[in-house]
Order: sequence, then structure tokens, then C-alpha cells
Amino acid sequence: MGEFTLKAEPFLDRYERDFGSVSIKELHQQAIVSFAIPNGCETKAEKTLNKVFGVACPKVGNSVLSKDGSARLMRLGADQLFCLLSNQQDTHSAHLVMNQKFGQDIYTTDQSDVWVCVEVSGTQTRKALERICAIDLHPDHFTIASIARTTMEHLGTIILRSAENTYVLLSASSSANSFLHALETSVENTM
Amino acid sequence: MSDQSHRIAGGLIDRSETLEFTFNGTPMHGYLGDTLASALLANGQKLVGRSFKYHRPRGIFSAGPEEPNALVQLRSGAQQEPNTRATVAELFDGLTATSQNHLGSLEFDFMSITDLLAPFLSTGFYYKTFMWPAAFWEKIYEPIIRSSAGLGRLSMEADPDTYDKGFLHCDLLIIGAGPSGLAAALAAGASGLRVILADEDFSVGGRLNSESYKIDGVSGSSWAKQALAELKSMDKVRVMNRTTVYGAYDHGIFGALERRTDHQKTSFGKPRQVLWRIYSKRSLLTTGATERPIAFGNNDRPGIMLAGAVRSYVNRFGVTPGKQVTIFTNNDDGWRTATDLVAKGVKVTAVIDARNKSASTPITGAEIILGDQIIDTAGRKGLRSITLKSGKVIQTDCLAVSGGWNPNVHLTCHQRGKPEWNSDILAFVPGGILPTGMKIAGAANGKLGLSTGMVDAVAVAQKIVQDLGQRPASYDIPTSEDEPQSGGAIWHVKDSKKRAWVDLQNDVTVKDIQLSYQEGFRSVEHLKRYTTLGMATDQGKTSNIAGLAIMAECSGKTIPETGTTIFRPPYTPIPIGALAGRARGKHFRPYRLTPSHKWAEENGATFVETGNWLRAQWFARPGEKGWRDSVDREVAMTRASVGICDVTTLGKIDIQGKDVAEFLNHVYTNAFLKLPIGKVRYGLMLREDGVAYDDGTTARLAENHFVMTTTTANAVLVFRRLEFARQCLWPGLDIHMISTTDAWAQFAVAGPNSRKLLSKIVDAPFDMSNEAFPFMACSELTICSGTPARLFRISFSGEIAYEIAVPAKYGNSMMGALMTAGQEFDAVPYGTEALGVMRIEKGHAAGNELNGQTTALNLGLGGFISKKKDCIGKTLSQRPELNRDDAIRLVGFKPVKSDDLLLAGSHFITRDEEANMANDQGWMSSVAYSPTLGHSIGLGFIKKGHQRMGEIIRVVNPSRGVEIEAEIVSPHFYDPEGGLQRG
Amino acid sequence: MIINHPLLGPRDASEFVYLGDESLINRPDPNSEDADDRFYEYGYLRDNPAGDLRELWYHEQGDRSWLVVTRNTLTHEITSVEMARDVAKAKGRDK
Repeated sequence: MGEFTLKAEPFLDRYERDFGSVSIKELHQQAIVSFAIPNGCETKAEKTLNKVFGVACPKVGNSVLSKDGSARLMRLGADQLFCLLSNQQDTHSAHLVMNQKFGQDIYTTDQSDVWVCVEVSGTQTRKALERICAIDLHPDHFTIASIARTTMEHLGTIILRSAENTYVLLSASSSANSFLHALETSVENTM
Repeated sequence: MSDQSHRIAGGLIDRSETLEFTFNGTPMHGYLGDTLASALLANGQKLVGRSFKYHRPRGIFSAGPEEPNALVQLRSGAQQEPNTRATVAELFDGLTATSQNHLGSLEFDFMSITDLLAPFLSTGFYYKTFMWPAAFWEKIYEPIIRSSAGLGRLSMEADPDTYDKGFLHCDLLIIGAGPSGLAAALAAGASGLRVILADEDFSVGGRLNSESYKIDGVSGSSWAKQALAELKSMDKVRVMNRTTVYGAYDHGIFGALERRTDHQKTSFGKPRQVLWRIYSKRSLLTTGATERPIAFGNNDRPGIMLAGAVRSYVNRFGVTPGKQVTIFTNNDDGWRTATDLVAKGVKVTAVIDARNKSASTPITGAEIILGDQIIDTAGRKGLRSITLKSGKVIQTDCLAVSGGWNPNVHLTCHQRGKPEWNSDILAFVPGGILPTGMKIAGAANGKLGLSTGMVDAVAVAQKIVQDLGQRPASYDIPTSEDEPQSGGAIWHVKDSKKRAWVDLQNDVTVKDIQLSYQEGFRSVEHLKRYTTLGMATDQGKTSNIAGLAIMAECSGKTIPETGTTIFRPPYTPIPIGALAGRARGKHFRPYRLTPSHKWAEENGATFVETGNWLRAQWFARPGEKGWRDSVDREVAMTRASVGICDVTTLGKIDIQGKDVAEFLNHVYTNAFLKLPIGKVRYGLMLREDGVAYDDGTTARLAENHFVMTTTTANAVLVFRRLEFARQCLWPGLDIHMISTTDAWAQFAVAGPNSRKLLSKIVDAPFDMSNEAFPFMACSELTICSGTPARLFRISFSGEIAYEIAVPAKYGNSMMGALMTAGQEFDAVPYGTEALGVMRIEKGHAAGNELNGQTTALNLGLGGFISKKKDCIGKTLSQRPELNRDDAIRLVGFKPVKSDDLLLAGSHFITRDEEANMANDQGWMSSVAYSPTLGHSIGLGFIKKGHQRMGEIIRVVNPSRGVEIEAEIVSPHFYDPEGGLQRG
Repeated sequence: MIINHPLLGPRDASEFVYLGDESLINRPDPNSEDADDRFYEYGYLRDNPAGDLRELWYHEQGDRSWLVVTRNTLTHEITSVEMARDVAKAKGRDK
């Protein structure tokens, strides 16, 4: 035993590039856990979430940071949430921890490796995203902490506006290269 | 520059920026702010092209997108772009333009012989002539027509430019930045709406740049400039020039093409054009109007142009199209051309008004002729003179023609709109059901006067503001005046004996339309298709109404009774490159990589596209002469010891909830209710019509936690169907699904030594023994000192086999670890080909067999449909026709002569029957060379196959001319009892 | 087209996958006497009205919900959008 150990290799090899008024960066230590609310248990589940994260469960299309700021809860659908935890050394144990806290109140699934997680930021970000995102990202409309699950260049994408000019994008990890290419092209085309 | 013989003072061009360009190789000069057309005219170039059918010499006819004549090729080499309208092509330094549609030089076109043959080339000529004899079509007619058809030429090289697409959102999209559009944008912008103002021109202002109007005491063009500056200061207003809104689609969606670098010599690597999809809550059409000509004998000579276009060239571009200009009009507006020309010092020879009516302003130096009409003209490559009905001949080098103005209603018709006739302005105005959220204002709405149009536009804009729940801010409508507009209904000069062109682009004459009517084409849609009136790049922008009017004359009906043809997108031509956008070459579509892709690349894999996935097909080793060598070796080594294959692409669905087992019972044919925790079961899904759909395995990890796998091809579709079953069919069940296909890197580890290999990497105390972890067991565990993993004991190859999954990020490292651990067993990586060979040897059905036409019975899986419960597809799978005695069955085939190769797609015929469809017994679905058995093997469907073991059958492939004999055998070529995989 | 999702607001139709008539929710009872006929009708017979049609759309590139969209097949006007799950429950399918 102990003869073999495995190394985690981020999907975009820790990609980071500054284009000037936009930068793109892979967030490779992001743990993602999906929560599913059992049928007819909405109230109970929301109570549990409140207890664990210290905040009220967000509405569909919105997200909220936990009281201690360590986790972001994103409400993707009526019975589905994603929980994002940044700077995790071990992204795959997060869901086990949650599982213990939730019991059967909420079903959890580890989604950390389903998604490549990319942060796009800078003053020209919205202009670049205009080329691939059909969602209205006007700041009055897509306010900070808004989320949407949509498609960009035929790839399913979850977009979160985490700050004034910062967006976090999740897309399937197997097509991470195509997704990055779509982003880079959008930025280069609008520079 | 002195070489610009027709350049005059004034205009909105920047004379400090001289631009060099060439036309047919001749160097010329123009200024910043010129179009190619205005620069050609400035250089005295009247002849710019040849007409489509008769190769008649043609000149510039308009100053805008409606241009039918001046189609040129821009640039050269791979960037060559045919059929570009010179009137909207912005001039840049270094532009090269060439004329098109001539054989030999533009001046001496050999194809102009067709003009002399015109009496034989009447409308419908092609339909009538090339009918017979039929044998002539392919060899003679088609090559002739092909070589003479079309206008410009493609470069036949790949387009080196890039294109992009994008999405925009607004409260109000204003289409057209003329006086009405600008006023509406100012009013809506002041009220806080998110406004997009789009205009196809490079400078906003519309007709304001071409006319001598005054607004608020300044020139119209100055006012437009001020308005633009004001709009740009509003942060919710986006002004998009060089942007054509070309189509109105459902629910307020518009298509727009923005030309970003067409006005530059190079794109500097940026997209040349961007195709926008604009989502608007409301839209306002302020597209103005297009002038229409009057048809008379030989009205197509270079130098004959629209009167408004002459004003554009004089006022906006500082160019006079002629030195002695004559005006022919049927309305007041035409007279303004004369006053503007005189104001610029251009000689006006005569003004001819078809009406007996004079405008009030005297025209210095011009002969005024009332109540007369032009019946003929002269001048082969440029107008020299005109002949009036009265017999009078006037020497002139430019004729400005005005037949009134047509509102640009195009976009109002893209849904279900039907223009209505307005007899006050003798033109169609928007009518019928308009696109969702669309309003029309100004000249586009038939309000042709400047002041009337702007007042209308502001009122409509403020109504829209209110409509969207906002308070309209006060906005002072700029003061201006209405120009006189009254006109007469004269579409063509009836006394003209010579050919009178209605559609200049398609060479359709008045007589062609009359002939078409005589021949029975009574509907305008038929007229259009028979004569080609209103087709091609200009879509009849200057010809449609005259065509309708002539049709109406023939039938004795009114114009509105005659009706219009349907306008469809696009408003002006859109390059295919723009529609493709980025989706070309390698980026035509996204691709997906398996977690061990990097390892595979480093280890000699050849990849194959399966859907969006790139998968390792085989791993060639030095000395191997072809793919078969590699595949045979991979199969042999796997069966002899152990092989490893990345099978991540199989769909994985995480399913949790209290009612999952019950749900699985509904969607799978076989029973799942009692699947024990820690076990995997094979499952078959049907479509509701009883046809087999997909198969895979489902593992139960915990009481309420299952993991389903699907085939690679159906991963997305199965998920969709399960969601349908969950939400629509059994909404009361507690089931929650999420795709985990990308979460886990999954590897098949197969072969007699697979257990020994995996024993080296699983963490203690996991027990790999057959007793502790038997066939069809599954477990969560850790491996390689703590990495979470899932282990399934399932076999696709027939060997002792496992599938082991680790989080995808570890996948590449995992492949290396498995290979290192397997070194002592001579472990081999195998690709999709070896995977396929082993599954055929084992007789498993795959995509070729689950082809959407076969049932569980056909597949030999009839026993998998549980008799004790319902499932999707069960009822209809029991239909008698699907259960006939002679139904096809999946069986194996082996060639009688062992070195014969079976071919997939072959059909089965009995030994004594003729090979035809009536005697068809079934078909071969999958074949492989079996290195294990040493001969070709096949799977196929044949009638009553299960009862025909040992029969010799003919395997016929007429398309390849191959026929061999084969024996019907069990589909399970390898280890039919299945003892190996359980060992 | 734009579909106004009950939970997410207006979304481009390109995010959705079309299935067909809402009647596909009404899967017949397999134990009924005339199950064969009813499944045949369920599987193969559809109304094809020129006008309002209640149809099923799946928000595949979104929240994965199935929707019942009432759309005029002549004008594409959409007059109502409901969660298919609610529609199915209202039809008693959760019983």
C-alpha cells in the first residue's frame, strides 16, 4: 500500500491570463456540491440550510453568501441548489461534510469535477460576454449575486455575477478547452 | 484632386483625407466620407457594370441600399467579394474594385450580343427553350447557362476574414437614424429607456445628409451631428451605425448585421462583421422611404438615375453626376433636385414634369417643360440625349428621375404584416398584423414631410415610454418645415415604343410583365417567379410597385387589389460568413475530451469522434503495419492478461430519493424494486411505442441512492426522458437526478489479471476476493492512499472485469497509475475498436443493434420485459405485428470459408432464392475480425434466427458486389456460458 | 421565440427542446381494459390545430423543467407558460 498516489490535474491547467481590461482565470480549487430538496420538504430543507449556512435560502435565479462567507448558495431551480466553496484543498470531501449535516433533509451530490470554473473580470467583461451570452447582463437587470443557467456557444453554462465587473462561469469540464476558446475569442474580438 | 472631373464644392466629405483606389485597374482618387459610387462619379466613371440578362451597359442608379445596377467586386484574392453595391461600399485607401458580368472588358463585352438577341429572349425564355430535346440538357444547355449565369465570381478560396455573433437587449430598438429615428431616440433616451438606434449608413442622419433641409435653424446634417453627440452622452442609449437590421422575428427579436471593418483595408485580426440578435421590448421603425423611378424607353442608360440620388451626390458627397442635368418628375419632390443643383452651381438643362404643373421656385437657366414625357434616350455607354413625346430632343449627360416615394415597409411584413395602399401618397404603407411590439413612424409610416415625420416619431416614442410604464420626459420637437409632396400616378410612359425597364437588375421590361399576364400569370407571386421581377440582391426595392401597377393596368384592377409579394428577411444581403459566425473549422462545434486524453496522446493513441467526444480508437505500437495489428493485439493481450479502457463517455446519472426503485421499475423493462444495496443490474429501456431505446446498468449505492449509466450516444436523451417521466408522468414520486458524466473518470479494467491489478491500488481493508466482491457487485471505496472511488464489477468484454471511477481531475493520473500497477501483468491500454471487437465476440447489442427499429424480442432480450409490472413501452411492445412468428432475431454469423470477411450492411438470402428485396431475410448489423477465433464474425438480424442455428445462408452486398456464405450461430461467440466473467 | 419561464423569466427558445402536444402527459392506465387502444391513441394520434396548442417544452439549457406552453401555431403568440409538473399534478398524476 502507498505505492500509488494520484494527482489532481485542473481542467485548464490553472489557466490565468490578463488581456488588459479583462482577465480570465481558472478557479481550480472550487468545491461544488448540488443540493436537491426532497418532495414536500421545502420548509424543512430551507430551515436546515438556514441553520447550516446562517442565511435564508435564495430565490431561483439568485445566490447568497453564507454568514461566514465561505460558501455561496445558488438556487438553480425549484428543488435544486448548488453550493460553491472556494479555496478547497480537497474538493471531493466537501459533499461528505454536507451530507453529515443534512442527513435525509437534503440530497447532496459532488459536482466539483463536473464543472470547470472560470472567473472573468474587468471593465470590459460585459462587452466580451455579449458575444456568447444571450442573457441580459445589464447591471440593472443582472444584479450582483444573480445567477442564470443558460448556454454559451452551444455549451451549457451557469453564470454568476459575483461583483460589479466579475462573473464566475461554470461549464462542463469535458469541454473545458472549447469553453475557454469561446471565452478567449470573445475577449480578443472585443479588445 | 484635379483628376476628379465631377467633384464640386461642399458636401460632408473630408477633403483633407485623399484616398487612392482602383476601378478595373485604373487608379482614381476620392475622399474620406465617399462611397465607392460617389468616388466613381467624381472621377467621371459612368459605366460601372453590365446587366444580368442582356449585358446592357449600366451606371449608378441610386445612392443607397436599393441599388440595382452598380454591383461590383471588391478587393482581390481570397477576400474578393462579388455583387457588392457600390452605393453602400465605403471608400478606403487602397480599395480595389472591378466590374462584373462581362466577357472581355467592361467597355467591349462580347456577351452584349444577347442584347441583339433580345427579341428571342423574352420572358420565360429559359422555360420555353431549354425544354427539348431532353438529351441536350446536361451536355449543352446546362453548361451554357451556367457559364453565362450569375453576376460576380467567387474567389474559390477560403474566406480569410473572421466573423462573430452577439446578443443585445433593449427596451426600444429604433431602426433607422434619419430625422424621425433621431428625434424618437432623443425623446425615448431622455425618458430613461434603454435604447438601441441602428442605421445601415456609416454616418447617421439618413436623408438629412442628402437634403438641404433646415432643422432648428441649422442644416439638417449639423442637427444630426448634434443629435448624435447628445445620444452618445446618454449611457442607456447605444447608437449602432454601419448596422443593418435585416429581419424581424418572433416576440421582438431582430437580426442585425454590423459591418465593423468593411471600411478598412484590413481587419487587424478582428471580426469583419458581427451578426447581432437583438431582444427588444418594443421597436420603432423609422426606415424612411425609397424613391421610385418611371419606366420609359431606354431608361437604363448610365447617367439616368433617381432624382433623390442626384441630390445625395451633390449635397452629401460634393459630386455632380452630370454637367448638364435634366429632371423628369411626376411630383413636387423632383423639383427640389433642380433647386439644389442650381444652388450648387450645376447646370440644369431642363425640368420635365409629366403633370401640367410647375413648382413655385424658378429654376435659373433651365427650360421648364410641363405635361410632356420621355419616350426614348440615346448614348450607348453614357446618356447623350433624351427624346420627348412631343418630339423634342434635349442634349443631356444626366437625367434625374422621380416617380414619388415608397415607405420602407419591408420589416413590417416579416411576420404577418400586409401593406395597405395609401392613395394620398400613392404608395403602400405598413398594415396588417405587425411584428410583436413594433410601431412605425415618419416617412416609413407614410408621413413623408420632414416636420410631420418628426412630430409623429416623437409622439410614437413617448407613447412607447408610457406603454413600458415610464413617464415620458418633456422633449422639445425641433422646428422644421414640410416640403411639398403632391404627385401624380405615372408608372411608365405608355407612348414609349422602345424597351422600358422596370427591374434594372433582372432586365425585366414593361412588355415582359404584360406578356407574362397574357400568358396567364395572374398572381403577383407568379409574376415574380416567371419574370424574375423583384428578385436577387435588391429584391425589387425600386421596381416592385411599378411592376404591380403595370399588372394592375393589364387586369383592370386597382393596385391594392393586385396586392404585393411577401417581403422576407433579409432586408439586404447577409454574407454566409456572418451567418456562420465563429462556427467554422475546428470550432465548428465544441469537443469533449476524456479525462485520460493527455495520457492517450502521449502514448500513441489515434482518436475518433463519437458525438462530441474524442476517444482513443487504438494505441499503435512501433512495427505495427495498420490499425488491425494494433486492435488484434489489444484484444489478445486483454483476453490473455489485462486491458484498460477509458469509458468515461458513458452517461452517468446520480439518482436520489425515496421512490427511486419504483421509478426505475417504470422506466426499465426489468425489475429494480428489489435491487440490493451494493449491487448493479443491467437494464433495458423501451420507447413508449415498444421499440428498444437504450440500455445500461444501474447500481444501488445506498437505500435512496442509485447511479445509472446510459450509452454514450443517448446520455443527454435518456436524461431528458427521465425528467419527463419524473415531472410529467409520475410527479408524486420523490426522485432527484443530476448528471455526473463529467464528474467521474471511469476505466474498464478487463481480463484474467484485472483483479490482481486492482488489488494493488485499492486501499485496505477493501476485499477484492470473488466472495466479497462478486460479479455485479458495486462499492464506494478509496484507492491510492485516499482518493475516493467507485468500483463496479461489470463486464462488457466477457472477462473478469471491473469499472473503476475516480473524480475526473484524477483521471489522467489514474490511467498512469493503472498502467504502472499493471506493468507486471503486461497490461495494455485499449481503444474503442478493441472494445467493439470484444463486445461483438461476446454478442452484446450496441448502437448498431439498438437502431430505433428493433424490439427486445428482436434483440433476444424478450425475457427482460417483466411480466409482473408495467413499464414505458410495455403495452405497445405486445402488439401482434411486433411479435410475429417470423420476427427477426439477433444471431451470430461466421463465414463458411474462414478467410472470407463479413460486411456490415449486407442482407441475408437463403441458398436457393434469388437475391432481391422480396426474399430479404434480414441484415448484418455489426462485424469484426475476431483475433480470439481467428476469423471474421458478425451479428445480424434474421427471420426466426434463434431456430436456424447451423443453417448456411448467403450474405449478399450488391452495392459492393460481394456475396459470401455464412453459418448462423449463437451471437455469443466467446464464453457463451458466461463463466469467465463470474470467476 | 421567447418563452417566459414561470420561475426564470423570459428565455430564448434556443435553450429549450420541443416535444409536442401536452396530451403526452396523459399516459393511459396500463391495466385498463382497452389499454391497447388507448396506448395506440396516446402514442400516435395528435391534434394539429391552426391556433392555440398546449405543448411540452423542456428547459434543457436551464433548470431542466418541463413546461406546458400555450402557443398559437399561426402567430407564435404565447399566452401561458406553466410548470408541467403542476399541470400533471392537477390532472391527478401524483395519486
